[in-house]
Amino acid sequence: MTPSYLKRLRLDVLREWDLYLMLIPGILFLLLFRYSPMYGIVIAFKDFNIFDGLAASPWVGWENFEKLFHSRDFARVFRNTLIISVYKIIFLFPLPIILAVLMNELKNMIFKRGIQTIVYLPHFLSWVIVSGLFINILSTNGGLVNKIIQSFGGESIAFFMNTDVFRAVLISSAGWKEVGWGMIIYLAAIAAIDPQLYEAAKIDGANRFRQIWHITVPSLVPIIMLMFILRLGSILEAGTEQILVMYNSIVYEVADVIGTYVYRIGLGQQDYSFSTAVGLFDSVIGFILIITGNYLSRKFLQRSIW
Amino acid sequence: MKKTITLLMLITVLLVSACSGSNNGGGNKETAPPANTGSATDAPKPTNDVLSGAKPQLRQLQPFDRFDPNTYFTAKFLEEKTGYKTTYEMLPEELPNEKLNLLMANREKYDIMRLSKEQFFTLAEAGALEPLNDLLDQYGDKLKAGIQDSTWSAASIDGKIYAIPQGGTGIYASSTLVVRKDWMEELGLQVPTNRDELYEVLKTIKAKKNVIPLTGQLSLMPEIAATFGIPNTSWMEMDGKLIHQSEHPRMKEYLAFMNKLYKEGLIDSEWPINTSSVAIERFTSGQAAMMSLAWWSAPAVVNALQRNFPDGDFVTIPYLKDEQGHSPIGVNTGIAYFMAIPKWSENKEHAMNYMNLKLEENLFKELVIGQEGVHHKFEDGKYFPILPKFDEELNNASFFLTGVDESVYSTYWQARVRKDPILFNYFEELQKLAEGHFVIDPMSNAPPIASISENSQKLTKFSNDTYLQFIAGSVSLDTFDSYLAQWKADGGEAMIKDANDWYSSTK
Amino acid sequence: MRHKTSILDKIFVVSNYIFFILLGVITLFPFLNLIAKSMSSEAAVISGRVNLLPVDLQFGTYSYVISDGLFQSAFINSVIITVVGTLLSLIMTSLSAYPLSKPRLRARKFFILMFVFTMLFSGGLIPTYLLIRELGLINKLPVLFLPGMISVFNMLVIKSYFESLPEALEESAKIDGASNFRTLVQVVLPLSLPVLATIALFYAVGFWNDFFTAMIYINSPDLKPLQLYLKELLASANNIFLNMEMIDVNKAMNISPQAIQAASIIVATIPILLVYPFLQKYFVKGVMLGSVKG
Repeated sequence: MTPSYLKRLRLDVLREWDLYLMLIPGILFLLLFRYSPMYGIVIAFKDFNIFDGLAASPWVGWENFEKLFHSRDFARVFRNTLIISVYKIIFLFPLPIILAVLMNELKNMIFKRGIQTIVYLPHFLSWVIVSGLFINILSTNGGLVNKIIQSFGGESIAFFMNTDVFRAVLISSAGWKEVGWGMIIYLAAIAAIDPQLYEAAKIDGANRFRQIWHITVPSLVPIIMLMFILRLGSILEAGTEQILVMYNSIVYEVADVIGTYVYRIGLGQQDYSFSTAVGLFDSVIGFILIITGNYLSRKFLQRSIW
Repeated sequence: MKKTITLLMLITVLLVSACSGSNNGGGNKETAPPANTGSATDAPKPTNDVLSGAKPQLRQLQPFDRFDPNTYFTAKFLEEKTGYKTTYEMLPEELPNEKLNLLMANREKYDIMRLSKEQFFTLAEAGALEPLNDLLDQYGDKLKAGIQDSTWSAASIDGKIYAIPQGGTGIYASSTLVVRKDWMEELGLQVPTNRDELYEVLKTIKAKKNVIPLTGQLSLMPEIAATFGIPNTSWMEMDGKLIHQSEHPRMKEYLAFMNKLYKEGLIDSEWPINTSSVAIERFTSGQAAMMSLAWWSAPAVVNALQRNFPDGDFVTIPYLKDEQGHSPIGVNTGIAYFMAIPKWSENKEHAMNYMNLKLEENLFKELVIGQEGVHHKFEDGKYFPILPKFDEELNNASFFLTGVDESVYSTYWQARVRKDPILFNYFEELQKLAEGHFVIDPMSNAPPIASISENSQKLTKFSNDTYLQFIAGSVSLDTFDSYLAQWKADGGEAMIKDANDWYSSTK
Repeated sequence: MRHKTSILDKIFVVSNYIFFILLGVITLFPFLNLIAKSMSSEAAVISGRVNLLPVDLQFGTYSYVISDGLFQSAFINSVIITVVGTLLSLIMTSLSAYPLSKPRLRARKFFILMFVFTMLFSGGLIPTYLLIRELGLINKLPVLFLPGMISVFNMLVIKSYFESLPEALEESAKIDGASNFRTLVQVVLPLSLPVLATIALFYAVGFWNDFFTAMIYINSPDLKPLQLYLKELLASANNIFLNMEMIDVNKAMNISPQAIQAASIIVATIPILLVYPFLQKYFVKGVMLGSVKG
């Protein structure tokens, strides 16, 4: 740190003083509400008793993590978590983007606004309700879907008890619930595109599809990259809330994920140490993925979050 | 260079926050309840000194319920009659134990807490609760008189009473099988009395009518398990020892039978994923012929069935007998709630006084069923509610109970069941059918036991999950023994041993 | 050539509309089902007779729900929290996003990482509860919007948007001698309406739907927000079990009828649904029109 460097630093900061000032409330907020409680991560390494307090609880090192990794079904639930999460990303990440692009092509404003408001409705229903709905529609006792299948000569499928199709049920219902909501952010990004670009393209003779490919999609790349990288951060969260209400012991083999498994083996006890350890494990993996994703994005697309 | 600085700054921030944070965490220890205090070791104070003067406002923590207790009729009634104003706060419906632990670890100043068995044990273990023996001696005469010794033992650890246990609703049967009367008549069938007859009836219904013979959702269907001599209690006595329901010698037979029913389509193919409302839907819409009906659901089911099928009706099936002619109906006389006073309450004597006052004969009666002529009437030795006043003002009265006079509570309580004629009829019919068949869980009034408290929920879920797999046939019954071995290894063995230790100590 | 693409184009347009009509139908269906249930008789609802139209039409459920004092206080609580929370959050988040979007900010990467880190790592419930308690916020309404004032996700979205704005826009303001702050308020924000509207929606929905914060920090029944009230109403059927063995018979007799549950869901959800149509006018194309020449 040479004196001239420090001098330049000081001048920079002074010149842009209000820029730094603007940042202060946010940083203070972070320090107060997010960082000051962070010592709680240490609970993962202790045998925590809430009544004794943090300092008096004994240190146990990696014991809680070992408990997780050596638990009887860990391999199965870890595998399920990854598979379901990756499936969800592959099938459900592109959908809102495609839908936003398609919706942008609708010219009738009233229809467009109306549909936008309708397709995001499922986001507001709790999983308890959505689950009941899907169980009803997919029922083998008079459910709509099986009625249709039978009318085509097929055999009823017990969707919720069939290990071959249950994951598809999870992914489809998650898609149905969230795709309309997920569209909103891409619609906003598209709205920010300068219409003159489209005018110019039309004059140059580009048809609809070329316009989409050369104007709409590239404008969405920054937001898509951001969303994708952040999505990676929650890769070990395969939809615990959803799966808890939709699964049953018949399909544990394919649908039991880390979150649901930890919930079941922790029933009746409040083992904060264990749940903190599991959460920390999720966080570390997620963080590594975000950093990696950001690095790759910077390297190959020249875009990054930081 | 820049990157190194960034990394260093990040680490510094983390370290700084960790350091400042651990002071906070350390502080937690200092505020934790110390091990050896409590009025138990102090000399009992003379009554007059403490209770004289203005009555303080009491703060009461309750389990979740859906109404606002602070504006309710009963709250005002209690304030009027006892002179104590009480503010009520409630735990949430989800994660109540987590929240309770947080509140207690932070020594939230409640005066009275209405706890579940699990919560009671956790807090008693942690030393958060005030031993009540002396307080009861000084201020709790009515409580001591109204609650039996066997009930008190459920709330005692090593001779010290840590809560006022509330039980006393009496022993009742919850449900029985019901079947469509019109269909039975149509097919010329008689109501079955044992398992084989049940099987035949189901087969006939399936063959002749295109409906689900029996719908339901429980992994352990009490009415059918009883035909194998298995009562629906967690614990039972066999050859002088306690066994847990999971290790009942005939459990495998029961599961094999259910699996047979499942394979032959005699029970709902969606049994493993059904909920009780789905079962009700199937029955009331005519998709199913038989279901297990709980008495509190009777009015809704009767109305729905009538609406959809004006000629439709159902008839109860008396409890099916096993090979010896018994039908064990498992009941638990256990404690519903434990009223505890945290060690750091500043109004312990007043809290005890308040709870005691509520058990005064007339006050207690009025608390539970209101005033005669206004809320209830007394006919033929029974209490009947006067509607709609009873519902409006006393529907949630039981929320405010902190201990009951066991000698009278069950008679008072029955007034509630009488508020709906359908409910009442079905309830009475059930109790008549169940008379003489009750099997009481021997662990009903057992004090909290560590291994049971820690393991029972998770093990019960494990059993239920596995039973459903056996019933649906997704897992072969050949693996039953290895399942049971796993159940025992995961804490079941410890539970059984501790339960038996306690049981033999009471003999 | 023009004719060919024209036919293909027409097919596309028509199928696009059809597709969205179908999508609209399958997403609207459950709501219509819920509305129908809320206006049907309990007998019809529990026997599964209600599909898209009410059966045994009645409106008693709505008057019952709305006249509940707890519902009213919960509703008001939620409105206050959502409005105040959204406004505060928008301000705080934009204020943080702007500096972070400027490469000339010293230690920019460090600050961004500082934000991102908190998205994944957290001290957990216990230390946070302690903090809230030390701040004296337990059982007080502000606890329902203060700790949630900055969502890093939302901040990153706004930052991404700010970064996509052409530099020329701000340079002209700088030349005129504007400070960073004035540039933000007078130049950048007016051009950021789509993203601000979106983030306002995200915050509003986030605050409106949150029940967890209240579950942990609120003890008094009259301070509960609407979603917590609703969740507890719906849970009534499961709540009769005291523990594995016993049932609270008094609670069993008070289970909330399904028609009332449906009405409660509708009443608790409709208000927030009205926010998006209101904000849609900010999703207007051409916000940038004419702002940059050349």
